[in-house]
Parts: sequence; structure tokens; C-alpha cells
Amino acid sequence: MEGSNSDSVRKPKPYRSDVPVRDADVDSAFKYEVADKFGGEGLLRCLKCGACSGGCPVGSVIDYRPRRVLGNVLLGLREQVLVGENLWLCAACFTCEERCVQEVNFTDVVTVLRNMASEEGHAAPGYVKMAKTVMEHGRVSKATGHVGKIREELGLPPFSEPDMEQLHKIIQSSGFLEIIEANEGRESEE
Amino acid sequence: MKMAIAWGCLMPTRRSLIGYEAATRKVLEHLDIEVVDVPNETCCAPFWMQSLDLTTSIAMAARNMAKAEEMGLDLLTPCSGCFHSYKRVNYALEKYPELHSRVDDILGAAGLSYDRSIEGRHLVDFLYNDVGVEKLKQHSTVDLTGIEVGLRYGCHMLKPHEMLNIEYSERPTFADTILETFGVTSKMYTGKHRCCGGLLRGIQDDLADMVLHERLVDADNADLDGLVTVCSLCHLQHDMGQRIIKRKFGMDELEIPVLHYPQILALAFGYSPEEIGLTHHTVKTDKFVEKLKKLGGVA
Repeated sequence: MEGSNSDSVRKPKPYRSDVPVRDADVDSAFKYEVADKFGGEGLLRCLKCGACSGGCPVGSVIDYRPRRVLGNVLLGLREQVLVGENLWLCAACFTCEERCVQEVNFTDVVTVLRNMASEEGHAAPGYVKMAKTVMEHGRVSKATGHVGKIREELGLPPFSEPDMEQLHKIIQSSGFLEIIEANEGRESEE
Repeated sequence: MKMAIAWGCLMPTRRSLIGYEAATRKVLEHLDIEVVDVPNETCCAPFWMQSLDLTTSIAMAARNMAKAEEMGLDLLTPCSGCFHSYKRVNYALEKYPELHSRVDDILGAAGLSYDRSIEGRHLVDFLYNDVGVEKLKQHSTVDLTGIEVGLRYGCHMLKPHEMLNIEYSERPTFADTILETFGVTSKMYTGKHRCCGGLLRGIQDDLADMVLHERLVDADNADLDGLVTVCSLCHLQHDMGQRIIKRKFGMDELEIPVLHYPQILALAFGYSPEEIGLTHHTVKTDKFVEKLKKLGGVA
């Protein structure tokens, strides 16, 4: 109904790969590597039926298809899957996970893939930035003075930033600092 | 009844979301349910954080749960993102023993332990299953008959149902049932159960706008007095995001008030629009409040 206006909106680039697939781009062990991680075990059950793509709310506005992501992982196109923004287009609505007859759990597979990408320094800069806010303030959103005043007006208890000691220890011992380090300097790219 | 409660990051700190906290506190107080805030609550590490590292995220969520466990209380939350994170903790620790021992080690390094003796609970599920529709009805003083809303359950209270175990997500009804108890008409409309694109905000803003545009066109066509959202992200998208969509897609007439779920309960319990933060939303809620007044639903 707003055709002419929505055409002017910049659409993210479709991520359709170059065809044909070359042997050199295929890592045949990739799917086992993914299936071996927490949440990745459903991958090998995928029949590529496409029920995931059919319900995808992102797929209804751009050329993004969960089935194609799964297909690329099963094919072993490691680099194409892990590098670039395509991996970060899932909105985590879990509709595909809910509808999948094979219990592939696509959204969990996405988490596994994103964890692998993050470890290699390919995390979405926006999420890295949010993580840094959490590492500094304990939450992803800071309270402003204006908000403090509204809280007072509404009779809500004053908001204070949490004590950070335990959170810092968790982040230090979990290896999360190394992941942030691997993605250092990429926030400005966006 | 006594519960620990976690508010999440957004609700206490964002102008348009404070009404969610205010209404929730009033509703629980009105129902004589005692809640204790989790001390020093930190980020629950929801899906975006899990994208960076699942193990760290589970440990972060388990930290808040450990605090509730110390008090011997189940952990209630009105935030669907938080709920999803807390449900994932028990689910993942049970399913993956190796993850369990890794998380135990991480928590141990921070002087904490978590034994999975408590559950994460969603406010709306708690109201329906533990408080019950009958009791909610008995406590209401205002009839909201005539109000027509579009209820958005959001994704993270329901999906995947295998993990969250509330109600099958394709055609849920429990949250509509509560609204209808107070006389509200909860309309079925296209896109009611579709994702708002909230988690794409901050990493794929154009895409988040495109998904939201579809949702707002759907809602606009449904001729509603207002939208009612359960999820904080749904609210940020539909309320704050509505301004962006208006401008970007030339939808000048678009003006749909977006209420938080417990605000409807608070109105039915006789609280005024002002004391539940309705004046702080981005899209003015005046139209909605006017209609309430006309129907005699507000003092």
C-alpha cells in the first residue's frame, strides 16, 4: 500500500552464494563440528523440507531462508556460513524450531554457529557493543536522571546499578573476555 | 504467596517501559502477592548474549537464579526475554551434563552455586495458573466492556513450548482469557502471533523496521483501540518504533496506543492511567484513555 516509499528503503543484500559450489570451499567435517556442540545435535536430522523457511518472519521481508542456511552448513560451506552478516539475520522468534518435524532446532543451531563465528572474531558489532555495556554496568540499559524522576513520581524504588564483582568473575572465568577481545575494533564498522 | 522477582534490564530503565514495572507492582500488591526483588540483579543474558557465548550466558542467568534459590523462592519475571533465559538454564543444565559442570565451575569461581531447586516463572502464566481467572475477576472493580485490543503474546513467553512448557504457541488462548474476564474484546487479527523483529534492533535496523512495518500494517488494518504487549521488546518495537515506521514508510495517520499487559489488569483493578505510567509511552495513549472514560471505565 505504501509501495513507492518502501522501495526506497535500503534492503540488506541477499546472501545467495556463488554457484557452483567448489570442492575447495567445502569443509566436510563442518557439520559434525556443529552437531557436536550444545544445541547443534539436531542439525544432522534435517531433511531440508523447508517448514522453517515457510514460517520465517524475516524471510517474508527479505531473501533469507533458514533452510538455505542449514543446507550450506550440511554442505560444509564453513566460511560462507560463519563470515558476514547473513548469520545475524535470524530474529530468534523460534517459529521454525516450534514447527520442525525433525526437531532440528534451527534457532539453537544458529546460536552454535554464532558462537563459532564470535570466537573467530565475526560477531555482530551491535551485540558486542551491548555486551560491553553489560560488562560495565551489569545491565544492557542504563538509567538516566529523567527516568529516576519518573520512578520517584510513580512510587517505584530507586534504581541503582548492581554490584559487579560476581559478574566480573563469571566473565573472567568463562573465557568471555577472549571472545570480546577477538572482536575488538569491529564496532565502528557498522 | 511469595516470589522472588527479576525485572530485567529494560523495564526499570526505559521511560516507556516503567509503566510495565509500575503496573506489575500494583497488580501483585492488589492480589496480596509478596515479591522480593533479586538483590543486585544483573543481565539475564538473553538470546543476543547467547549468540556471543552460550556457556557464559547460562552462567549469567544462573547467577540471578542462585540469588532466588538462596531465598528459597521461585523466580517470577514480567520480562519475556528474562523468562526465556531462566527457563533455558534448568533445561540446558539437565540436557547437557558437560555444560552443567562447566557452569558449576564458572559459578564456583564467583563464589556462587546453583542447584536447580527453583523455577523461572512468567508473570502472565503465573497470573493465569497460580492466581487464577476467578480470583482476578473477584478483585476487579472496573468493567472494561467495549474496549477492543490486539493482544501480542510475543515469541519468548511461548516458543519453543518444549522448553517453556506454558501453552502450545500456534494458537495460545490463556492470556486472551484473562483480558476477556474483565470485559475486554481481544481481537484475532492477521499477524497477531508473528515476530516483531525486536532482536534485530541494534544489529540490522533496516530489517527490524521492515518486519515491524508488516506488524503495524496488520495492526492498523485490525481497527483496534490499542495493542497490548507482553514482551518488553514488542513494546519497544511497536511503541517507540512506530515513530520510525510512520516517517520511513509515510504512514502519517498511524497512531496505535501500545499498552503493557499488566496495565490492563491494573485499570480493571481501579488504578488510574497516571499511576501506571500510561502518560510516559511514546505513542500517546490519550485515545485509549478517552474511550475508557466514555465507557465509564476510569475515574
